[in-house]
Amino acid sequence: MTPEIEVKNLNFYYSGGLLVLKNINMTVYKNQVTALIGPSGCGKTTLLRCFNRMHDLYAGNRYEGEIIFQGENILSKETDLIDLRSKIGMVFQKPTPFPMSIFENIAYGLKLRGIKNRSELKSRVEKALKDAALWDEVKDKLYTNAFGLSGGQQQRLCIARALAVEPEIILFDEPTSALDPISTGKIEELIISLKGKVTIIIVTHNMQQAARISDWTGFMMLGELIEYDRTEKIFTVPSNKLTEDYITGRFG
Amino acid sequence: MILKKRKIISSIALFICFLTALWGIFWLSFIIIDVLRHGITAINPSLFLKDPAPPGEEGGGLRNAFVGHIMITFFATLIGVPVGVLGGTFLAEYGRKYNISKVISTLADIMVSVPAIIVGAFIYAVVVKPLGHFSGWAGALALGIIMIPTVLRTTENMLSLIPWTLREAAFALGAPYYKVIIQVVYRGAATGILTGVVLAIARVTGEAAPLLFTAFNNNYFSLDMSQPIASLTVTIFQYAMGPYEEWHAQAWGASFMITLFILFATIAGRLLIKRRYKD
Repeated sequence: MTPEIEVKNLNFYYSGGLLVLKNINMTVYKNQVTALIGPSGCGKTTLLRCFNRMHDLYAGNRYEGEIIFQGENILSKETDLIDLRSKIGMVFQKPTPFPMSIFENIAYGLKLRGIKNRSELKSRVEKALKDAALWDEVKDKLYTNAFGLSGGQQQRLCIARALAVEPEIILFDEPTSALDPISTGKIEELIISLKGKVTIIIVTHNMQQAARISDWTGFMMLGELIEYDRTEKIFTVPSNKLTEDYITGRFG
Repeated sequence: MILKKRKIISSIALFICFLTALWGIFWLSFIIIDVLRHGITAINPSLFLKDPAPPGEEGGGLRNAFVGHIMITFFATLIGVPVGVLGGTFLAEYGRKYNISKVISTLADIMVSVPAIIVGAFIYAVVVKPLGHFSGWAGALALGIIMIPTVLRTTENMLSLIPWTLREAAFALGAPYYKVIIQVVYRGAATGILTGVVLAIARVTGEAAPLLFTAFNNNYFSLDMSQPIASLTVTIFQYAMGPYEEWHAQAWGASFMITLFILFATIAGRLLIKRRYKD
């Protein structure tokens, strides 16, 4: 297994100096699914948003430590955020289709990369939609407004949009928390089908979901990474008492 | 018992709402029907094709005023809309973190309700007086300034309505901020911004007071924006006060055309947005 991301002594402060991530150390492996679980407010989404430097959108946030990706510390000032975000995609809690057609939604990221050729755009959009298991449902209405899709379809559209630019990593921030069980099932199947093709880091509130789809699980609490190990180990023989209490439902 | 009481109160409230709506609509339709009734009889080709006849003489039209009005409104839009849209964009996007943005927003709100005649007097003082004569440019500038706060505030409000997660989604794909704004945020807010622009144009189309001080009037056909130029509203004002029946009829005709224009501008704006989404 090759490491994709190495997090070293990561501290993160929100503006105002509030320390929300405390000395995080972890290795994310290539083409595996890594889940982050933990009670609300434990910092799992904050950690996820460090990987594509989303916190930089808001003034006053501060990182300490290192996140090594492709041999470079992505937390350094020299990091080209546009380049970084083209390699590390993200899918959000609520579906975020752009106010344009289904086709344009997927083509958006491709156009940002400078792909203008109509036939190449078409084939890449089709591939992304097929990879996201959405093609059959939308192939006859590619040029209609993306808001016409159901919530679950919109979320798969967002996954297709992230996949279209062929990123190394996709970050999922509770991608199914706003969806019904059937749509959730489809998204989970989709994530499993992406294993081996792309590295996935997923934040989830749903422990069963983490157990079902992930290879690695990190349990976080109060800004600390309490335990990080193979998923089957975390859910069967966790080495930390806190992890055991959490996964057996004693709190959280 | 208490439920019955609530039902009665509810129906009374509903009835009052209905009555007030009816009262408002009654006056609106009264004005519009009056304009249509008087205006439509005054519409004939010479109204558009001929310039005013000397006072007291039969015939003549308002070609000069139609052309002048279109020119003034066009240039006012050219001045007001870019400043308004870009200013609103600054306030809602780049300027969110500065306190000055809130001050500008509040000032713009005050400006929206400042009587247009004050803007006319202001332009008179800073443009007309120093240059020594009335001009079409001064008129366009006055109307443009009147448009700015409306367009600015609607743009700001419409952009603020676009959820932040949508911007984050675009950033997450590696888009730079200006592309996020132009390609994602503007598209989401297009309906609202365009409505603001159309409303602003509609508002200045009906303004007479600021033009009295700036573009003034011209009884002759002119395309020269650096000279006094005729406009429909000032002509309506002048003709409606005038002693001749013929003038009154032409003023009604001009009112009719302005009303019609505002109607079509609004409809066109809406159609434009619908078509945009189909592409």
